[in-house]
Amino acid sequence: MKPRIFALLAGLVFAGAIGAQTTTLNVITAGDQNMVDYVNNYLAPKFEAANPGVKVRAVGTGPGDAGSQKIYEKLSAQQKAGNNEWDVDVAVIHQLASATMVKEKLLMPYRGDVAAGKLVTRDTAKNALGADVDGYVLPMFHSQIVFAYNPDLVKSPPKSFAELNEWVKKNPKQFGYNGVKGGMSGVGFVTGWVSAYSGMADKLEKGPYDPATAPAIDKALSGLKEFNQYVVMTPGNAGTLDMLNRGEIAMGPVWVDMFYTWQADGRMSPKIKLVLPSPGLPGQPMYYVIPAKAAHAALAKKFIELAESPEVQADGIVKQFNWYPGIDPQYVQPKLDQAAWNKLFTDITPADLSKYGRPFPLSPYFKEITEGYERVVLK
Amino acid sequence: MATVATRRPIADRAIGLVLIAPALAVVGLFFVAPLLMSAVVAFRGKEGGFTLEHFAKAFDFYTTDLLFTLWIVVLSTLLIGLVAIAIAGYLTLGGHPRSVAILRWLYRWPLFIPFVVAGQLMRTFLAKNGMLNHVLIGSGLIEPLSAQSLLDWRGIVVAFVWKQAPFVTLLLAGAMASLETQHIEAARNLGARRLRVLIDIVLPQVRGTLLVGLVLSFVTMLSVLSVPLMINPNSPTMMTVDVAYRISTHGDYPVANALCLLSLGLAAIGAVFYLRQAARSAEAT
Repeated sequence: MKPRIFALLAGLVFAGAIGAQTTTLNVITAGDQNMVDYVNNYLAPKFEAANPGVKVRAVGTGPGDAGSQKIYEKLSAQQKAGNNEWDVDVAVIHQLASATMVKEKLLMPYRGDVAAGKLVTRDTAKNALGADVDGYVLPMFHSQIVFAYNPDLVKSPPKSFAELNEWVKKNPKQFGYNGVKGGMSGVGFVTGWVSAYSGMADKLEKGPYDPATAPAIDKALSGLKEFNQYVVMTPGNAGTLDMLNRGEIAMGPVWVDMFYTWQADGRMSPKIKLVLPSPGLPGQPMYYVIPAKAAHAALAKKFIELAESPEVQADGIVKQFNWYPGIDPQYVQPKLDQAAWNKLFTDITPADLSKYGRPFPLSPYFKEITEGYERVVLK
Repeated sequence: MATVATRRPIADRAIGLVLIAPALAVVGLFFVAPLLMSAVVAFRGKEGGFTLEHFAKAFDFYTTDLLFTLWIVVLSTLLIGLVAIAIAGYLTLGGHPRSVAILRWLYRWPLFIPFVVAGQLMRTFLAKNGMLNHVLIGSGLIEPLSAQSLLDWRGIVVAFVWKQAPFVTLLLAGAMASLETQHIEAARNLGARRLRVLIDIVLPQVRGTLLVGLVLSFVTMLSVLSVPLMINPNSPTMMTVDVAYRISTHGDYPVANALCLLSLGLAAIGAVFYLRQAARSAEAT
C-alpha cells in the first residue's frame, strides 16, 4: 500500500509544480458568442502553441454596449478598490466604453509597443465617437450595418433613405428592423435615418456637440414615426435575419459579419443580397485594449501582436469570421486567396464601404437620438 | 409541554431569535438592503439631494409600458386561472380514466422548461411563417394570405399562460384531490352536472389555493425579462425590458431603479392579496 500512496503523493506534487508554472492570460470580451469562440477556438491554440506554459482563458460579457459596460464596471471596481494587479489582461470592447475607460485612466497606452500598431490606418484607431483614444486601442475588426434584401421580392433595392421611404409606402410591412432596444443593427438604422434626414451627418459624427440641434433631431425622428407605420418591428438582430430567411420581410438592416456567418452555417438563404444605401449606415470596430494594471501586460502585448498580424487578420478575421480587417486591408489582401477576398466584397465594394460606411454619432448625440426615439417615435 | 412551561419567556425568545437569525440575515443582506439602496438611487439627484426627476422621466417615457405590463400580466393571470381550473377540474371530476391519466402526465411538461426556452420556442412557433400557421394553413383552417405573426403582446401572453398554467394547476389539483369526496358524490347523486359540481362545490373550497397560485404567477410574470425580450422587445413592451435597456445601453441606474420601484408597486398589489390569504388560513388553523 505504502509505495502506492507515495507514488500518488509524488504525482500530486509534480502536477502541482507544473500547475504553478502555467500562466493564465485572462481575455474578456464583449459581443456575441462568436467573439468568445474566436478567442477560444482560433486565437488561443495559436498563442498557446507559440508560448508554452501559457493558458488563454476567454470570458464573454454579452452583446452590444451592455457587454462593454460590464467590463468597464469590473475594471472600475478594481480601480476603486485600489488593487495593484487587475485580473483582466486583454479586453475587447466597443467604442462607447473605450472613450469612458480612457478618460477614467483604466487603460494602458500600448500601440507604440506592438509592431502591428503601424499597420493600422483608419481614423477609428485614434478617435472613438469623438473621444481621443490614440495609443490605447487597436481595432480587432470593423463591422458594418447594411440592408439585406431578398432579390426575389425586391428587383431593384432602394439606394438611399429617401428611396426607402418611398418604397415602404408602396410595399407596406415588407421592411423590418429591430427598434433601439433589440440590438445595434436597429440602433444603427435609426442613427443612419437621423443622419440622412437632419442634414447634419457630419456634425453628428465629428462634433462639436451642440444642444441647439435637438429640434432638428426630433424633426428627423418624427419622420421616422410615420415611416414606422409601414414597417415590421423585429425581435433583435437575429430576429431580422430570421424573418428575412423565412420570407416574412423582404428587406432589413443587418450586421455584415452576422449575415455572412449565417449564410456560411446554412441558416440564411444564399439568395439574399446586401446593399449599402446613401448617405450611409454606421459601422464600428471592436478594440483590443490592455487594462492599466493588467497582471500580465507583457504577455497581453504579445497576444495582441499575434491577433493583429496580417496572417491572423486574413485567415481568422476575414476568412473564418467574415469581419472586415482591423488593420489596413492592403496588408491583409496578399495573405488571402482571391475567392475569400471577393466573398467579403461582392455586394458591397471597398469603394461603397469608404463612401457610405460611417461611424456612429458622437456619444452625446447618440444618447440624444436613442432617447429621442423613445420620446418622439414610441410615444 | 412541562419543560417548555418552566422555561423563562425571555430565554425562549432569545433562542427563537438565534434560530431565525441566519434566515433574517440573508433576507436583510440580499433583499432589504439592495431594495433600500435601489430606493435611494431612484430618489437621489445629480448633486445628491432628493429629487423626483427620475420618476418624472420614467413616467414620461414608460407610462405606456407600465400599463402594457399591467394589462399583459392581469390578462395572463386570468387566463392561467381558467386553464388551471379546467385542467384540475377534469383531473378531479373526469369520467374517463385513460384521458385523465394522459392529461395528468402531459400537463406538467412546461413546468420543467425555463422561461428563456419557452420564449425561444414561441419565437419560431408563433412567427408569421412559423409552425402554428403552417399547421393552420395545411389543415385548411386559414388562408395563407390571412396568416399573421403572433409575435406581439399575444405571443407574450401565450408564452406566460403556457408556462405558468401547469404550476397553478399542480397546486389546484393537489388541493382538489384532498377534498372530501362525499360533497361531490352527494351533488352528483342529486343530479348536478359536472360543471355545476366544479363551480358550486369544488371551487369554493379551493379558492384560497387558487388565489395563492395566481398571485405567485402574477409576481413571477412581472419579473420575467427573457420572454418579452425574445418575443416583443419593441414598444410597447414590458417594464423588465426597459429596465435592462436603461442599464445596459445608457448605464442609467437612477431611472432603472425608479422603474424597478414602480414594478415593485405592482407586485405589492399581489403581495397584499397573498398576505391577506395567508393571515386568513393562519387564523383558520
